[in-house]
Amino acid sequence: MKEEHPSESAPSLPGGLIPLEQWKLPEVSVKRTLKDALRHLMAQLRAGVSHDEEPFQSLDDLPSLTDKQIQHIAPRPDFTSLAQAILESLEELRETETLRRKVALLVAPPFSGVREALVRLPGAHPEVGVGGHGHWHLIAPPDNLLMSREDARRWWDEQDLSGPWVIPELADFWLRHSDGLCLVQELLQRIVAGEVGPGLVGCSSWCWQFWESYFPDAHLAPLTPAPMDAERLGQWLEYLACSRDRRPVTARMTDDGLYVLPVDNPSEDSKRKHSGFLRDLATAARGIPEVALAIWQRSLRARPEDDAEAEGNSQEPNGSERHCWVVPLDQLSLPAMPQSRERAVGFILHALLLHDGLHEERIAQVTGLDHLELHLALSRLLRSDLVSLAEASRRWHVTPVGYPTVRRHLQSWGYPVDAF
Amino acid sequence: MENIEQGLQQVFSAITWLALVEAALVVAAAVLLIFLIQKVVPGVAGKLGGKARLYLLASVPLARLLIIVVTIIVVVPILIEPSFENMVAIFGALGLALGFAFKDYANSLIAGIVTLYEMPYRPGDWIEVDGKYGEVRSIGTRAAEIVTPDDTVVIVPHNTLWNALIANGNDGSDNLMCVAEFHLAPHHDVRRVMSLLRDVAFTSPYTKTMKPVVVVVANKTWGMNYRLKAYPLEPRDQFRFISDLTARGSEALASEGVAFVSVPVAAGA
Repeated sequence: MKEEHPSESAPSLPGGLIPLEQWKLPEVSVKRTLKDALRHLMAQLRAGVSHDEEPFQSLDDLPSLTDKQIQHIAPRPDFTSLAQAILESLEELRETETLRRKVALLVAPPFSGVREALVRLPGAHPEVGVGGHGHWHLIAPPDNLLMSREDARRWWDEQDLSGPWVIPELADFWLRHSDGLCLVQELLQRIVAGEVGPGLVGCSSWCWQFWESYFPDAHLAPLTPAPMDAERLGQWLEYLACSRDRRPVTARMTDDGLYVLPVDNPSEDSKRKHSGFLRDLATAARGIPEVALAIWQRSLRARPEDDAEAEGNSQEPNGSERHCWVVPLDQLSLPAMPQSRERAVGFILHALLLHDGLHEERIAQVTGLDHLELHLALSRLLRSDLVSLAEASRRWHVTPVGYPTVRRHLQSWGYPVDAF
Repeated sequence: MENIEQGLQQVFSAITWLALVEAALVVAAAVLLIFLIQKVVPGVAGKLGGKARLYLLASVPLARLLIIVVTIIVVVPILIEPSFENMVAIFGALGLALGFAFKDYANSLIAGIVTLYEMPYRPGDWIEVDGKYGEVRSIGTRAAEIVTPDDTVVIVPHNTLWNALIANGNDGSDNLMCVAEFHLAPHHDVRRVMSLLRDVAFTSPYTKTMKPVVVVVANKTWGMNYRLKAYPLEPRDQFRFISDLTARGSEALASEGVAFVSVPVAAGA
């Protein structure tokens, strides 16, 4: 029997952390690859034919679940548990000597939840540090990121990098501007030179793609969460469904009735036929948890007879188990890219991914677009469901459900894309 | 010579009006197909980005050659009986005509076929031939058309291939290195300027950062010549890219107090 690595059983981080080189895109069927390539080609050819923004829409007429039902069946993960799982996985990697550096670099694609988890480290686990004990110290970026090399040196000198320290997202510490690189340059040099104490740095994969090109010889041996393949994704979605009220969920396809969840058969004797939906979902989401979750939430449907009933009725009469239906991915139209012959849309989307979200004035700084052009492009992207504005922070972000489309288009437009 | 004439008379005396009409229809269909391919495929390619665009553009001349060969194979048996004597007569006459009347034209046609095989340039490539620089728009049977950055179409006969130097900037790929030059007054920190210019390239939104960014410097009698080399997102962005590098570089150098050199107008007169 295969010995299971302890971190592999952590439900909030299935597969644990792995070296970046070991990350692989979830397997995909040839049929799905051809279908996606054809769909992408058609989307590009539609340029100039259809000028309408195409946000996400469902092509079936089954009743959707209410927001409350979705929050019970497919809630966002508990990031405190994820933070705990990350720490455990790091400890295991240290024990096996896969991780030998004082500073662990976690590179993860957007919507992996690493930033959200690392932000919670000081509050949730104040006593446990990386490779020892101590208080987690959160390093927050300065308000002004444009500074000289000397100012950057002085700023880092003022930070306490001796004990366990954590940077939830390195992308917050730089701007793609000739005066905006110094903070990260200085930090990476200090890490490489071993001039800092034990620490943990979270970094978006797009940000890392830039800095890896900038410092090709840095060799910081980044780690990354294992990709969500169909099996892990099934386990993770089950874990999320049970996380609120501990009741399992049964999800079946609307077209052929095959099972999606639960992943395991109820017993050895009764074997259920399972759908290939999770494999398609893992591929469509590129193995990224919250992208998969966003698409999963949009694919859930109530039974027609339940629609007229009260909220929370996606459950069986006995109340121990909940049922819902899942529409095939083909019947979900994911957001489409607005067509434009100018570079503005690509510049904005690439900048948002490089910096893991930006304020409007900072987008203008890094792209060089004037405010009118920027405002028009952002409005189009917002209507297309590809970007959203966080009300609290006033930062623009790429949406999880729009991410696969955005990445694919940026790649076809020649932009440097991440390795995930 | 007399044998060829007699052979040709025999060959053409056997051609009927019906065969002529049939052959004309086949040729017309082929011409129409080639016309459609030459119009539709570049239009579709224009809507795509990256490699897909280059592959589609490169397929046009190959498809045309294929159609021409198939048309000849279909039309010849319609008009004449493909016997040994008839073939000798036809190709003998064709050889004479090409040898004397259309020597240069035939030269270009043959070079056009070699172009498709050796591919010194493909549609979508940025080439320089005899001092003319531009993007290859199409490859015809006799000549290629390039469009210069000033939107002027230049016709380059394929026989230029035999004896001219052809510089190809991207050679069928979507990677085209661009160079932004900076002519600076001496007496400054050279390493600092090199690092500054590298940052300028990395922070331009047009830069393909996964490709190398290189700064080279040379000491000239008038000062220092810096060449910032990097790749734009797509070859068609090259002029905007160089402009962006120049503008950003000038701003960064000005903020560092590094001055440009300039030649007084009178000195060049």
